[in-house]
Amino acid sequence: MTGQRKKTSMGSTRKFTVFWPIIFISPFVICFLLFNIYPILYTFFASFHKWDGISQKVFIGIDNYKTIWIEDKNFRKSVFCTVRIILCAFPIAILLGMVLAAFLSNLKKGRQVAQTINFLPYITTPVAIGLIFSFLFDWSSGIVNKILMALGIIDEGLNWLGDAKLAYLVVAFMIIWKSSGYFMAIYLAGITSISEDIFEAAKVDGANAFVTFWKITVPLLKPITIFVVITSLISGLQLFDEPSLLFTGSGTGSRVVGGPERSCLSIVWNFYDVSFQTTSRLGYGSAIAITLFIIIVIFAMFGMRFMQGASEEDL
Amino acid sequence: MKKKSMKFAIVLLIFLVSLISLYPFYTMVMMSTYKTEDIFKGVPLLPSDFFMTNLKLVMQSNFIQTYANSLFVSIISTSGCVFVSAMAGYGLTIYKFRFRKVLLKFVMMTMMVPTQIGIIGFMIEMKSFHMTGTIWPLIIGWFASGFGAYWMTQFIQGALPREIVECARIDGCNEFGIFLKISIPCMIPGLTTLALLIFLWSWNSYLVPLVFVNKPQLYTIPIFIKSLGNAYRTDYGAQITGLLLSTIPLVLMFVFGSKSFIKGLTAGAVKG
Repeated sequence: MTGQRKKTSMGSTRKFTVFWPIIFISPFVICFLLFNIYPILYTFFASFHKWDGISQKVFIGIDNYKTIWIEDKNFRKSVFCTVRIILCAFPIAILLGMVLAAFLSNLKKGRQVAQTINFLPYITTPVAIGLIFSFLFDWSSGIVNKILMALGIIDEGLNWLGDAKLAYLVVAFMIIWKSSGYFMAIYLAGITSISEDIFEAAKVDGANAFVTFWKITVPLLKPITIFVVITSLISGLQLFDEPSLLFTGSGTGSRVVGGPERSCLSIVWNFYDVSFQTTSRLGYGSAIAITLFIIIVIFAMFGMRFMQGASEEDL
Repeated sequence: MKKKSMKFAIVLLIFLVSLISLYPFYTMVMMSTYKTEDIFKGVPLLPSDFFMTNLKLVMQSNFIQTYANSLFVSIISTSGCVFVSAMAGYGLTIYKFRFRKVLLKFVMMTMMVPTQIGIIGFMIEMKSFHMTGTIWPLIIGWFASGFGAYWMTQFIQGALPREIVECARIDGCNEFGIFLKISIPCMIPGLTTLALLIFLWSWNSYLVPLVFVNKPQLYTIPIFIKSLGNAYRTDYGAQITGLLLSTIPLVLMFVFGSKSFIKGLTAGAVKG
């Protein structure tokens, strides 16, 4: 391989090892440094200051971080709420996506249709999802209460959006509803690429559908599962659209930041509120952002380990 | 017999799940045909006759400009991102050079860098570029998508044999020509999938516009709909109609593009 390459590019190797790679890769690297890395570095710098965006920055060392970790109840609450929503939503969504994909892959007819329909929630604008869900879960006129009452599960309507014990479940349900179809599409893609022979062999060996799923499909999908888990963890930690739109987009929910008793206050919502909405403590907001950044990087590091491990196993 | 009933159960389950997936969407369509006062009377299952009025209301407001803004943002973001990502993926896969391994790792890491987190720094940066008050801050952030670069790297590894490139090189084609004329056609499924996703994400993007958009001329759809809610003490009928109109292009894109979307997903995501 290398020998062949040398022959074809003799005399101008540098062109192919220096010049062209730089030409092709530099747009991405430059854009990334400019629009991603620099802003984060600046945010990091700002996080050591007391600063409202208008007056001069005042250097205060790590005071912001001290406040976040020791005093700020809202931050602690937001971490708790975010993690709680992630734990309620993503395991179910991922599992559902996987199971549905396994079922769908067995169907000949209607597969395309089912896939497109289940992908619809993923492409619907979050603003719309927030608005519609606030209707569906409305205390008096929402269909969810009506169905539950008709089935005799509850006697009177639950105040889904006003009760701190229920509101986060609605957010979790929104996420499940939204992302199951997306996970399903990814898993379906994965299952399609598993060789048909493997399933045939399993059938010949007398494995039933459940055993095939558990012993063959799930293990072979492991790389995808890792990818899905990591990306959803990272996006889950940045949760903002769903809860904030559910509670501020309509007149039916409470308009307080964070939903009822701040039970749905996500980390990013808290960040947004501190830096741009209720107050404009940009220095403090920066410190929150950097704290979240560090949390995510830790997860991402673990994730990378797993992902690399998985892809090396494949090779 | 047992197999048949099993199959029936599966179909039923998929049908039920699809129903749940579809229902809120269906509600949106139905609601757009109702007067705001009537929306709350009950669960709208059948269409009413108020759609045209709602539509008129929406059209009278700033909606057309908003729509144009959103289209502009998404189209430019998508083309920029796809092009930059394709180049990066191509460069990383086809050439062998010294820091290739490091760069591959870097790209993988970029995918995990949460972009929203630097938004305060991004805001200050845009101020010093004199771009606040324009629509560009909503766009340029997409050019450097870690996901995009990673995605294209993965995809090209599977889809574009290095031999093809080498043959073209022997035939005397220059590098950029190879990229445009020979490699891009091989990458179409991956590019389509990426383009669809970036279009979707930029179209629905909420936090960045929320921070940057400060005047109605710059509204994108999510912000516009929110502002409708604040200004007139919520005309839900009109609001929902606007949302419906804003979802239609995405639905069309995904329905028509779904075959190649899935194809690209199969080739790209499978390796994780």
